[in-house]
Amino acid sequence: MNWVTIIWSMTAAASLTLAGVHGFAWLRQRRQMASLMFCIMAVATASMAGCELWTMQQRDMDAYAHALQWYNLMRWIVTLALVGFIHFYLDSGRPWLEWTVCGLRTVSLLVNFVFSPMVYYTSIEELVRIRFLGTEVTVVEGIPSPLSIIGQLSLLVLAAYLVDATWRSAQRGNRPGAIRVGLSAVFFVLALSIQMMFALWGFIDMPIVASLFFAGILVVMGVELSEDMLRAAKLADDLKIRERELISERKLTDAIFESAPGMLYLQSADGSMVRWNSQHERVTGYSNTETSQMRAEDFCVEAEKEILKEARTIALAQGGHDVEFDLARRDGRTSRHFFRIVPVEVAGEPHLVGIGIDVSSQRALAAETERQREQMAHIARVASVSELSSSLAHEINQPLAIILSNAQAAQRLMAHETPDLHELREILEDIVSADIRAADVIKRLRSILRQGKPDLETVSPHALFDQALSMMQPELKSAGVQISRRHSKKLPLIQADRIPIEQVLLNLIKNACEAMEGNGSREKTLSLSCVNEGAWLRFSVRDNGHGLGEDGDKIFEAFHTTKPKGLGLGLTICQTIIRAHGGNLWSEKNKSHGATFHFQLPLVPENL
Amino acid sequence: MKHSETVFLVDDEPALLKALGRLLKAEGFAVQAFDSSMKFLSAPHNNGAGCVLLDQSMPGMSGMELQQRLIQEDSALAVIFITGNGDIPMSVRAIKAGAVDFLTKPVKDKELLAVIQTALEKSRTMLSERAEITEWKKRYAELSTREKEVLSHVVKGLPNKQIAVTLGVVEQTIKVHRGRVMSKMGVDSLAQLVIVAERLRLK
Repeated sequence: MNWVTIIWSMTAAASLTLAGVHGFAWLRQRRQMASLMFCIMAVATASMAGCELWTMQQRDMDAYAHALQWYNLMRWIVTLALVGFIHFYLDSGRPWLEWTVCGLRTVSLLVNFVFSPMVYYTSIEELVRIRFLGTEVTVVEGIPSPLSIIGQLSLLVLAAYLVDATWRSAQRGNRPGAIRVGLSAVFFVLALSIQMMFALWGFIDMPIVASLFFAGILVVMGVELSEDMLRAAKLADDLKIRERELISERKLTDAIFESAPGMLYLQSADGSMVRWNSQHERVTGYSNTETSQMRAEDFCVEAEKEILKEARTIALAQGGHDVEFDLARRDGRTSRHFFRIVPVEVAGEPHLVGIGIDVSSQRALAAETERQREQMAHIARVASVSELSSSLAHEINQPLAIILSNAQAAQRLMAHETPDLHELREILEDIVSADIRAADVIKRLRSILRQGKPDLETVSPHALFDQALSMMQPELKSAGVQISRRHSKKLPLIQADRIPIEQVLLNLIKNACEAMEGNGSREKTLSLSCVNEGAWLRFSVRDNGHGLGEDGDKIFEAFHTTKPKGLGLGLTICQTIIRAHGGNLWSEKNKSHGATFHFQLPLVPENL
Repeated sequence: MKHSETVFLVDDEPALLKALGRLLKAEGFAVQAFDSSMKFLSAPHNNGAGCVLLDQSMPGMSGMELQQRLIQEDSALAVIFITGNGDIPMSVRAIKAGAVDFLTKPVKDKELLAVIQTALEKSRTMLSERAEITEWKKRYAELSTREKEVLSHVVKGLPNKQIAVTLGVVEQTIKVHRGRVMSKMGVDSLAQLVIVAERLRLK
């Protein structure tokens, strides 16, 4: 075994191995034409190496020429395969250069077969044996043929093609691996053409070693192709992982969609439905096919469509919005729904995710509660009226007594022969005013018992106190309560529903009186005040009775009472009334005796 | 017709005072109206028979309190309550304390006048009874100590003999004292004497 045999055999073996590997890869992935080209080139390179070794061992001229013909066929294949590889791999070669290379090479091949035995020489002097790598090999000595230029030209055009393709590939930003392949191909091709030239013109004594250069190109190409394969494999793995993630992500969002406690949907910015959960289908009654043709506002009753569209605009602008509307079902029924809409970007487009919850039962409950509260307020009013019945009886009986006595006095005066007309006129005037007084009491009673929405009117704070006090007059008198009234000098008028506010004052005054029942020798003092506090008007009712107990905080709770016969609704109702006016009601323990109840009412802006 | 007795009106409602005043004046009563208990008390009101028409609920002194004051004064005025919102316990208390009636506003003239008549009747009776008792008290004061002792034993129903033993004198002396007591007190029978002693609370 000599070095030449070893090197050329190994080159052939290596080329075949590479061909096998990439040929197999091509079989797996037929679209990878670069692999196929590589495989062809590798097989041809291996054959080329065989042919070279063959020529080196020939001693006979004809046999040498025969081997050279086969060698040239292999070179033709290798060149075409290289052009093909670069064409598919770099994807940047100029077609006319490709065709030129292939054409020149083909011409060279044809010439090779036509001008047998040797295309390279016009006249061959002899076959000589030279020492090469420690062994004897056969080379030709003669005058090179001008036709051999074609082969040289094809090599140079190939080099130009490679440079051009590499350059254009680099300009297009191809990966460095591809550039490396191009550059190394250029390098080996140029090196080969120089070696060929030198050998041909007899400057150096060397056999043909082209297969080694092509093997060099093969190695670089093989390495890059393998890296590509590895990269592709890794990408495939990554893709699989990503796909798995996507699937689980999708499953997660599916689960989230389905687990939502109501309707959940994704809609585009113009309202068309993109995705929705089964609850959506169940609630609206529209099938998935129908829903996909619809817009969000198609699920909204006609009167509220604009509200929904507006909500969408607000949600997109402000990063979310809440809206409530009547959902129109397929069967024509409606149900109140609360929606929270949040903007989200899907595939670069603004979308909205909405979640809708049926709140019809809550709304119904709230309405029912409101109705019950109103009923309770009414009951409380009736109760307070019945509690007041004795003083009301007094209030009504007093004017009636005045009317009756006056009328009967008049009857008696009329029986006289000369009735005192002046006296009679006075009597009639008194009767009229007592009658008006009785009518006022009835009117007031009716308005306390009236059930319905509050009517705001402009009232004077003084008048509120006056009315409440006048209704409590008999109780206050018989209990011997001293009343002190201290008000801000200039009190503005307020907007309030007069009767309920009077009822609150009445209630507070009544409570104060009851708290002072056990005062004994301590004088019962009720202090009423009304103070202007800027935006508010504060009414205060202060007593010096037994004060608030330990459970002072509970006094505003419904059905909490300290009175044996009390319903425990008085203060609750008071608070409801004051809150309905936008004010608040609170209590305070006095430093010495008793308690003070305050309530604030907001002043209307023009009265500030 | 004219009445000698005065009807006092006490009510904090001026319009009602006026109306009732007109009615009673038209009926011939002498009427004095007051819009508070204190004003009434500070005015002279215990000159002979009369009645007070009293509002139950008034600022300051209530009708009930005024009734108590009149009792303390030993007044001969009969009390009629008139109220806008009376209840049963209140009326029971008033009647127990000697009120003639407990009227509820509005009150019809006939009813009112009838009650006033009853009240005045009562007042007159009270006055005459009071005059009688004053007379008997005066007569009793004129008795000697021994005669008072004898009187106290006689009205207890003791026989003369036993009284004599108790006082340590003879029966004849007791008879003399007894005769003197009867004539000084101006009674004809033992039964009358017992009644007088009862009224004077001598028993």
